[in-house]
Amino acid sequence: MKTTETLPHQYVLKQLPKATALVNKNSLLVDASDSWYAIFDDLLGPGKDIIHWYQNHLEIDKTKLKKYIGTSSGESFRHKKLVNGQEQWYESTCTPWFDEDENLQGTIIQTDDISQLMEKEQELDRITSLLKTKSEVAKVGSWEYNLETEELHWCEETQKIHEVQPDYQPTVAEAIAFYKQGYSRNRISMLFHKALENGTPFHEKLTIITKDGKERWVAAAGKAIRKNGEIHKIFGTFQDIDEQMMADKKIRESEQLLTTLIDNLPINVFVKDKDSRKILVNKAECDYLGTTPDTLLGKTDFDLYDEAVAQISRDEDLEVMRTQEPMIGKETINVRRDGTATNFLTSKIPLLDLKGKAYGLIGMSMDITHIKQKEDQLHNLINVTAIQNKKLINFAHIVSHNLRSHTANFSMLLDFLIRESDEKEKQRIMKMLFHASDNLLDTLENLNEVVDISTNVNLDKKSLNLSEHITKMQQNLSAFLEENQVEFENHVPDDMMVSSVPAYLESILLNLVTNAVKYQQPERRPVVELRAIKQDKNIMFSVTDNGLGIDLNRYGDKIFGMYKTFHNHKDARGLGLYIIKNQIEAMDGSISVSSEVGKGSTFNVYFNEETE
Amino acid sequence: MKKLNSIYIIDDDPITVFGLRKMLKTITICKDITDFENGRLALEALKRRIELKIPCPEVIFLDINMPIMDGWEFLEELVSLNIPEKIIINVITSSIDPIDYKRWNDFRLNCWHHLNFKNKPLYKLEVTDLSRVHLAS
Repeated sequence: MKTTETLPHQYVLKQLPKATALVNKNSLLVDASDSWYAIFDDLLGPGKDIIHWYQNHLEIDKTKLKKYIGTSSGESFRHKKLVNGQEQWYESTCTPWFDEDENLQGTIIQTDDISQLMEKEQELDRITSLLKTKSEVAKVGSWEYNLETEELHWCEETQKIHEVQPDYQPTVAEAIAFYKQGYSRNRISMLFHKALENGTPFHEKLTIITKDGKERWVAAAGKAIRKNGEIHKIFGTFQDIDEQMMADKKIRESEQLLTTLIDNLPINVFVKDKDSRKILVNKAECDYLGTTPDTLLGKTDFDLYDEAVAQISRDEDLEVMRTQEPMIGKETINVRRDGTATNFLTSKIPLLDLKGKAYGLIGMSMDITHIKQKEDQLHNLINVTAIQNKKLINFAHIVSHNLRSHTANFSMLLDFLIRESDEKEKQRIMKMLFHASDNLLDTLENLNEVVDISTNVNLDKKSLNLSEHITKMQQNLSAFLEENQVEFENHVPDDMMVSSVPAYLESILLNLVTNAVKYQQPERRPVVELRAIKQDKNIMFSVTDNGLGIDLNRYGDKIFGMYKTFHNHKDARGLGLYIIKNQIEAMDGSISVSSEVGKGSTFNVYFNEETE
Repeated sequence: MKKLNSIYIIDDDPITVFGLRKMLKTITICKDITDFENGRLALEALKRRIELKIPCPEVIFLDINMPIMDGWEFLEELVSLNIPEKIIINVITSSIDPIDYKRWNDFRLNCWHHLNFKNKPLYKLEVTDLSRVHLAS
């Protein structure tokens, strides 16, 4: 090639709309279209090395350019130019240039503005990478099956979930074989088949066994993609939901544990909302109310209990929610609609929402009725014991005092006797000693009588006809009664029965009637009235006299005491009432007195008729 | 021998009364020694004396446990009589109950009269029992 030859088509070249340049075998520009010169600078004109034109362009591998020019392959390369600070991308394609005889003349360079394409490519890159990141973060993979090629394609995330290498692409059969044998594998086969046949989409939670042998929960979904009405692809997602499923399972297990626990607690458990409606009840609570959870939910205490009880409970609820202080271990009494009362040990704990406001409460009630009953029994027992103890101490004092006074007399008299020389006086002292000895024996007998009652644990109570015993008493006392001209008014019904120890009934009748006569008014004929009335659990037997009467304000607490006498009477021992009180109490009965000085007294004896 | 005008013995036990009378003979000359079975009788006699303006007894021997009116009740009534003379009162009891001693002490501290406390058995009386205050023996 010498100089630039004038080519017949040169003018045509100049007008070509696509930027085109001709370069000879020596890399010199032969000529180019105006559009080509518009991209490159046309200041240089033809005949110069093509390299000069690309000098203002960036990202060009100049050795590549040299290599492409003069070869017969149609290579292309990209380059860019800054125009007013804007990047302008181009692509130049080199194709060989032949003459009529197929001799290589040089290279045809065609340059395209590819800025828009480059933008699109970059956008695609961005979207692709975004998708990848998304699928990585969400652990959602995808897959695609092409019906024509019968090829299955797994994305990177899907591969990761299966724990296979990035270059692994399975067949449909292989992919299905990853599912756990049994339900999961059968199910996916059927779903995939349906999607192929009818285009039915699916979304299912199943288990796979990864390549490393790990069992894993996945969510597999598929959807048919149609082209001209024909299914030509199945596209699907594939998600690792193992953690979620495990967490769900854990939650379900915890729930199960909690439910089992609450239901089997031997304590009534309930949760109430802020209007005190029950929103949770356990089995114990249902059993207690004799119904099912369904009927209890939504109910308030007013629907279930006595109104007074319900109001107390509601007030407690409000207080707990207002103060947000738990109520712990309070003793409460619940009365059900049927009237049965139960003692509970109740705790109420406020339920707070995330803002710290109470929206309800948890309640726990333990049935302590049995404990309460035991406690009451214990209290009664303590009371009985305390009374017994007091009696014993009192008795011990009486014994010690009475025995001491006799022994003191002995001691004193003996001391006199030793120092006495006068025989007559000695005789007198000896008489006194005998008297003291008799007194001591009497006292011992009296005490024995009292001890007998207190130690007689197994009392043989019998049902006795009261009238018969009164008649018997009258016979025994006939001389005494006649002597005193006693007038009897017996109002006791003939068939009245009392339950008593026979000897005690005799003693009671004897003592009360003798007392009534003994303490008579000097100028009045003694009248003794006897009555018996049946009461709820007792029979009240009363003896009324018209005698002296007793100042009860003064002696009230002492009248049944031992060795207490209130009238100056030669036969007063101060023992009769003490003994019958003990006898009556030993039979679980009681005795009381009413009296007016100068008018008379009434003694009421209550016989306990309850059978044990 | 101390000379006294009047002595009261208030006790329902004839043996104790006998003993006291016997013991008194050895230490005093007194023509008027009266015994009472209970506090009520003694109190009535005392009231009569006051009405008749006869001087009260200088010494009283007082038992605690008696029917009708016991020793303590008698003491209460006696205090309310506001007798100007100081009477020597020997409380005599076979009780060793500390409550009785405490009660005696309360009376002693709040009473115009001289109060002594004597536990049975008694063997001998001293002249001092008739003249001045003794604490518990």
